Amino acid sequence: MSKNILVINTIPNGEIMAKLKELSAGTQSYIDWVDASTLHISHCIGCNHCWLKNPGICTIKDDYEILLKKMVHSDAMWVISETSFGFLSHPAKNIFDRIMPLVTMYLHFKDGEMRHVMRYKNKLDIGIIYSGEGNQEYLERWCKRTAINFGSKPIGVFSEDRVEEAVSCM
Amino acid sequence: MHVVIMNGSPRIKKYSNTDKIIEAFGKGLIKSGATYELYTLSDKKEWDAARQAYYSHTRILIALPLYVECIPGLLLEFLETLHKKEEAGTEMYFILQSGFAEGCQLRCGEEFLKMLPKELNCSYGGCLVKGDNFGIRIADDKQLDRILAPYEKMGELFGINGTFDNEESGEFTGPERFSLPLRIMLAFIFKTFARKRFDDVAKGWGCIRPLDDRPYAQ
Repeated sequence: MSKNILVINTIPNGEIMAKLKELSAGTQSYIDWVDASTLHISHCIGCNHCWLKNPGICTIKDDYEILLKKMVHSDAMWVISETSFGFLSHPAKNIFDRIMPLVTMYLHFKDGEMRHVMRYKNKLDIGIIYSGEGNQEYLERWCKRTAINFGSKPIGVFSEDRVEEAVSCM
Repeated sequence: MHVVIMNGSPRIKKYSNTDKIIEAFGKGLIKSGATYELYTLSDKKEWDAARQAYYSHTRILIALPLYVECIPGLLLEFLETLHKKEEAGTEMYFILQSGFAEGCQLRCGEEFLKMLPKELNCSYGGCLVKGDNFGIRIADDKQLDRILAPYEKMGELFGINGTFDNEESGEFTGPERFSLPLRIMLAFIFKTFARKRFDDVAKGWGCIRPLDDRPYAQ
C-alpha cells in the first residue's frame, strides 16, 4: 500500500539523506524530503499555548510550521540525526519536542497509561536513522515509547551503515 | 555541603514548574545546613556561568521536566557544550518531573539520566522521579503548597544524606501504574471535570477555539 512518508534531515552535510534518496528511488510510497538543517527551528519553550491558548498552533513563528503541516498528512516520519551522549542530538530532539500541537490538552487512558488525546486522525509512525556513536538499545526504547505517546508504531532505529534496511521499512 | 542546581526547563523562570520545585527543594536543603546556587538554563545568558559552576564544583543537580520521553532539547544543547571533567569525583543528581502522573511514564527519561554522568566523567548520584506536576502552573496558593511541600522534605533529606540513592527517594515517585478501579475513576474525571477545567483555563488564557480544533486538517 502506498504511504505518505516524511523524511526530516537534521545533519548539515546531508550525506545520509542523499543516500536514502538514491536507495529509495522506485519505492511505491510518496516521500517528502525536508532538509531541516537549512531551516530555522528553535527549541520548544514549554509555553503550552498549543494546548490552551491557540490549539494546534505553535506560538514560535519559525520554520517548524512547515513540518507540522506535513506531519498531519503523513503516515510515517523518519528523522535523520547526529548523536549526543548515545542519544539524538539537540536539533533532532527539538523536532520531537515541538510536535506537541499534534496532541490536545485532553487526557485518556490507553493500554493502562495516561495519554493525551490525539488532535488528528492520522497515525504518524516513527523511524530514526543516526550517525555517530548511538546507543542502539536506548534509542530503540526511546523510539518505542515516543510512538506510544502519539498513538503510532516505532518503525525502527538504524545506524547510518544500515540505511538499506531503513529503506526496506519505508 | 554545597550544590550547584541547574534548572533544565526551557520554560521561562516566571512560569517554570521546575523552578517552583527547585525553590521548595532548596528550602529543605537550607534547613539541613547545606547551601546551593541556581542557574536557569532557559536564559542562555546564564550558560557561561552555569558551565563555570559545572567545572568548579563536585555536586551538580539538574532539575528538569520530561520532554518526549527524555530531556528537553534545550538542556541537551547546553550539555553538548560541556567538556568531560578532567578529574573524577563529581557526582550528578537529577530531579525529573512530568505532567503524567504514573512513575512508569518517566523511566525512559530516567534511564538516559543514569547514562549521562559517565559521558562527562562524572558519577551518578540518583534521580528523584515524580509526575503529576502539570497542575503547578494552574494551581492556587493552597494547592501549590500541598504539591510542593513534599519536595521541601526531600531537599532536607538530600541535604543530610547527599544522595537520592535511598528508600525515601524511591518511594517519592508514587505508583508505577494506576490500578484498574482508579483508572476507571480518573477516565471519568478526564471526560468530565478535567475537560471543563482545561476549557476554563483556556478561556482565561484568551482561547477562542475548541481545544480539540484541527487547524491543519485541510
